[in-house]
Amino acid sequence: MALRLVPLGLVVFAVAFGALLVGGAPIPATAIAGALLHPHHSGVDAVIVWQLRLPRIVDVAFVGAALAVAGTLLQGLLRNPLVDPYLTGVSAGAAAAIALGLLAGVSPAATPALGFVAGLGTAVLVAALARRGSGLDAQRLILAGVSLSAFFSAIVALALVRAQSSNAASSIVAWLAGSAAGRTWHDVALCIPYAALAAALVIPAVPALNVLRIGEAQARGVGVNVERAQWLVLAASALLAACSVELAGMIGFVGLIVPHAGRRVVGSDARLLLPAAAFMGAALCILADAVCRTIVAPAELPIGVLLAFIGVPVFLWLFLRGAPAR
Amino acid sequence: MRSISVTAGGAPLLDDVEFRVGSGKLVAIVGPNGVGKTTLLRAVAGVHPLAAGTISVDGLKIGSASARERARSIAFLAADDSAADGLLVREVVAAARYAHHRWWEWRESERDCAAIATALAEVCMEQMQERLFSTLSSGERRNVWVALALAQETPVLLLDEPTTHLDLHVAQRMLALLRGLAGGGKTILCALHDLNEAAAFADAIVLLGDGRLRAAGPPTQVLTSPLLDDVYACTIERVHLRDGSLRVYPSGVAPAAQR
Repeated sequence: MALRLVPLGLVVFAVAFGALLVGGAPIPATAIAGALLHPHHSGVDAVIVWQLRLPRIVDVAFVGAALAVAGTLLQGLLRNPLVDPYLTGVSAGAAAAIALGLLAGVSPAATPALGFVAGLGTAVLVAALARRGSGLDAQRLILAGVSLSAFFSAIVALALVRAQSSNAASSIVAWLAGSAAGRTWHDVALCIPYAALAAALVIPAVPALNVLRIGEAQARGVGVNVERAQWLVLAASALLAACSVELAGMIGFVGLIVPHAGRRVVGSDARLLLPAAAFMGAALCILADAVCRTIVAPAELPIGVLLAFIGVPVFLWLFLRGAPAR
Repeated sequence: MRSISVTAGGAPLLDDVEFRVGSGKLVAIVGPNGVGKTTLLRAVAGVHPLAAGTISVDGLKIGSASARERARSIAFLAADDSAADGLLVREVVAAARYAHHRWWEWRESERDCAAIATALAEVCMEQMQERLFSTLSSGERRNVWVALALAQETPVLLLDEPTTHLDLHVAQRMLALLRGLAGGGKTILCALHDLNEAAAFADAIVLLGDGRLRAAGPPTQVLTSPLLDDVYACTIERVHLRDGSLRVYPSGVAPAAQR
């Protein structure tokens, strides 16, 4: 079964190697390979590869994988194909906090951490509103996520109006458009504990997620503790979405379209779908980021914008093709 | 089941219901719509909280058992259908094995495969195991849900309207299967709407009415005319067929030729 994931893993490595080749300074493939094999070499190629391109590629790969896994988890839990990770309110809460922070003069360097904390705080608020008994009500969760997102979007709009054309306004817009520019190994390392925690939460819930495909009532009948699975999945999704927001700002559509594409490739078995979605999300974001930093070089396109341009037509194509996803 | 009371939406639904089901028995729960048959089954399955009382299955206290422990003793087939989009019939039935695995055991064992195959064969669905569940008719889907309950390999089966959506032939085959399973030692509690199905196949009938247990016992003792008239608020006639079995009909539709 795991063999079906090998081609997807190879695609990620191929796309990542391709992304290492492109950039402001053209470096041939042999030099890239040499730099990869000799990380402590002091040459320019090694510095470009190890200090500039590779951390950024790892960063966007992490973001893509996190968003894709979070989207897959939430779509599976809520049995709703239109759900994406930002439903948890993470992005809207983070956006509002960052917009207000930048307006109040907080250093742009502090915004990722601010976004992470505010995003998780919003997810906790959404979960509290969606709570029913000891579990979560799927409909309430969606309504709470949508309502709070609308509320926080209004705060962002208000902050933009107040910021007018100042530096704060351009920082807010840049963050909303999503970008991995200037990311370092340190940024990636900061998210590893949270990603590890998310994995620790998700892995015990994988069998339950698979059984939930037959419906909540039937899943309860075969012994699934639905409430436990709900909390584990929501907490893991919120952590992953908050990590991605911290690393690259607002990047939409990955968490929505990759789970659909993943189901078409490997089916809906969470044991395969979750790693497949991680690989596909990573490959998509590495590719999109490579295009963003080369298509209008030396300037850069925001990755969130490019992914929306690609994501909407792809999603509509998948949707209109009509074949049932397995 | 001792003095149990259940509520639905905060309102009392059933009060002081108490009965005992011996192993290897097929017991039908009957009563008018909305009386609490499904809620009672859900309470026995441990997925609906009790307002009062206790339910035990082979010594296992349902109220304090974990979901996994309950599912190893009791298989509960809800009446609600589910689209189970994108799943094959076999994948739906395989979900039954959840409680037999720890969370890190992700692979099907040989015993799982055997239980799934046997359950599919019991409901004559083995030829359809590679079909998409969503493409089946409602009757075929019902069969798959019953197979799922069987694949749990529990000593107790709770079935909410197992013959819903089934044609006459398949419904009779289903009830005969349940009868056979009871003969093999399984304890089966099922909610039924059709009193004649209950009379023909059940060892005992639990009749609910007006929020309480109205009678429990063998069909001939429970399906009595004054009691049924009162519970169903219509005149019901009892007819003994030539083979000695009992049938009940609303007055005016009893087949005179059989009397």
